[in-house]
Amino acid sequence: MNIVETRNLSVVYKGGVRALDGLDLNVREGEIFCLVGPNGAGKTTTMRVLTTLLRPTGGWARVAGYDVVKEAGKVRKMIGYVPQNLSADDELTGMENMILQCRLYGIRGREARERSLRLLELVGLREAADRLVASYSGGMRRRLELAMGLVHTPRILFLDEPTLGLDVHSRVMIWEHIRRLNHEEKTTILFTTHYMDEADKISDRVAIIDHGKIVAMGRPEDLKSSIGGDVIKLKINGRINGILSGIDEIIKVDEIDGEYRVKVKNGEEALPRILRILEERGIKVVYASLVKPTLDQVFVEYTGREYREEEEHADVRVMTYVRERKR
Amino acid sequence: MSLTTLSGISGLFAREMKKWFRQRVQIVFAFVIPLMWLTLFGKSFNIAYFLNLPEGIPPDVKAIVQKAMEEILLRVFGSLDYFNFFAVGMLSVFALFTSMWSGMSLVFDRRLGYLERFLVAPIPRESIYLAKVFSALAKGLIQFTIMLLITFALGLTPKQGFTAIDMMGLYMVIAGLILALSAIFTAIAIRITSHDTVISIANLVNIPLMFTSNAIFPLEQMPDWMRVIAAVNPLTHSITLTRYLVLGIGSQAQVILSTFYLAGFTAVCVFLGVAAARRYL
Repeated sequence: MNIVETRNLSVVYKGGVRALDGLDLNVREGEIFCLVGPNGAGKTTTMRVLTTLLRPTGGWARVAGYDVVKEAGKVRKMIGYVPQNLSADDELTGMENMILQCRLYGIRGREARERSLRLLELVGLREAADRLVASYSGGMRRRLELAMGLVHTPRILFLDEPTLGLDVHSRVMIWEHIRRLNHEEKTTILFTTHYMDEADKISDRVAIIDHGKIVAMGRPEDLKSSIGGDVIKLKINGRINGILSGIDEIIKVDEIDGEYRVKVKNGEEALPRILRILEERGIKVVYASLVKPTLDQVFVEYTGREYREEEEHADVRVMTYVRERKR
Repeated sequence: MSLTTLSGISGLFAREMKKWFRQRVQIVFAFVIPLMWLTLFGKSFNIAYFLNLPEGIPPDVKAIVQKAMEEILLRVFGSLDYFNFFAVGMLSVFALFTSMWSGMSLVFDRRLGYLERFLVAPIPRESIYLAKVFSALAKGLIQFTIMLLITFALGLTPKQGFTAIDMMGLYMVIAGLILALSAIFTAIAIRITSHDTVISIANLVNIPLMFTSNAIFPLEQMPDWMRVIAAVNPLTHSITLTRYLVLGIGSQAQVILSTFYLAGFTAVCVFLGVAAARRYL
């Protein structure tokens, strides 16, 4: 069953910025799903639409069977959301934040306390529960926010860039918690990231988003094999001009930025053969490297652009539009 | 109102109060400006001094003139001590001074991202707004209590036969005024994204609202155009009522009019604020 479904979803901000441009997405119940793409691709906008914070200007989206615009109230009961910006109140303690969160979902009294303690224990913040959040580290804040998103045991948890700005140790910890949650509580997880390796390692399925559209969606393994094997990057003095045509493993030869990208079926076997042929023809090889397929390459394949994690922070620009135009 | 709504409002209300009590320095500083008004202005303007007639006037004439001037003072200020008149008026102005900042926390919640978390929760949008207004009311009444004690300490003398009922009435009038003003200023902040705007609005409204009311001088001596403004200014009606309750000044007709005006004004402000929160928050 699809717990999230969108068709032709579009968001055009005042001023004409097209943040989502006909986005089609489906997330299955119980899976860890990742929306990955460069900054400004529309990840946060998608999250804001799915969590009822932003009305789409076109198309529709359903979460847990309810329309995000017409049945926003019902959607809100089903979902947990951990926004990209810090959202735990730093003038309150961890416990006070948890209790407030409980109250927002109608959980009160002893039950609220017990649930908060259990969740704080789960994310390793039991000792820090009565400290002001202002004294927490970035990783601790993230873990608190994760726990806050869980007080009402949502069917689906939305995490917007949950590891942004965290050190490696904290990132690993966050992912451990998320995996455990998905495994033990069967909570569906939908998260965004601009780290392709993170998307690859953690998620059951990924959707690659670019310019407000889904360019590829599926299991990471399938996406990687869909681009058809390994890539050998070559820099040579001279030109290839068909001299490699004798090797059956070769699928395609491209020249990008003065470098050859030879796509092959079995990189380990093809590489020595290619090098030998080039040597026989007297062509000097400057360097050669074998690249196993990654999601970065999937991105390159589908968009024709290199994937850069540190692209300009267009999200910041989009966020100011979000503030101006809420509805 | 459902249980979740109530639980949401009470949770958000508790958050506001906790945060407020933790800012002790700020609470203390909030009393500096009102104290200056009361001591520097209220106490420097000593009308009794004007009654000291010069030497050499025959005693019988002096007595008559003195009597006439006291009559004038009683007619204008309802009291021989201007401080009484002024201090009770300023209690309503101080309520304005605190209420006009009530939108600030909403603007900061939006800027810091806290608001987003509340908006994702399954509570009605207006409960976020109402929690802000109610907490502004609670803070305002606590500050009012302290201001009232200070004015008594500075020499405010209530009318003969000032009762607990009058005191309750005083609290109800001030609560109505704070509720109305907080409802307006919080509603204005719903669409504001910059705290500079809140500061500008607060600075823009406080002086005109104070001077177009009967806080410092009585309405009767104002030019006609200003009396028109004063008649719709909620401060005027709050001040009329509180002066009646504490000092016994004012006519029955005025009191009835002001009671209805203030109650109606408060109801309209809260109603419009809730409608705005439903639509725009």
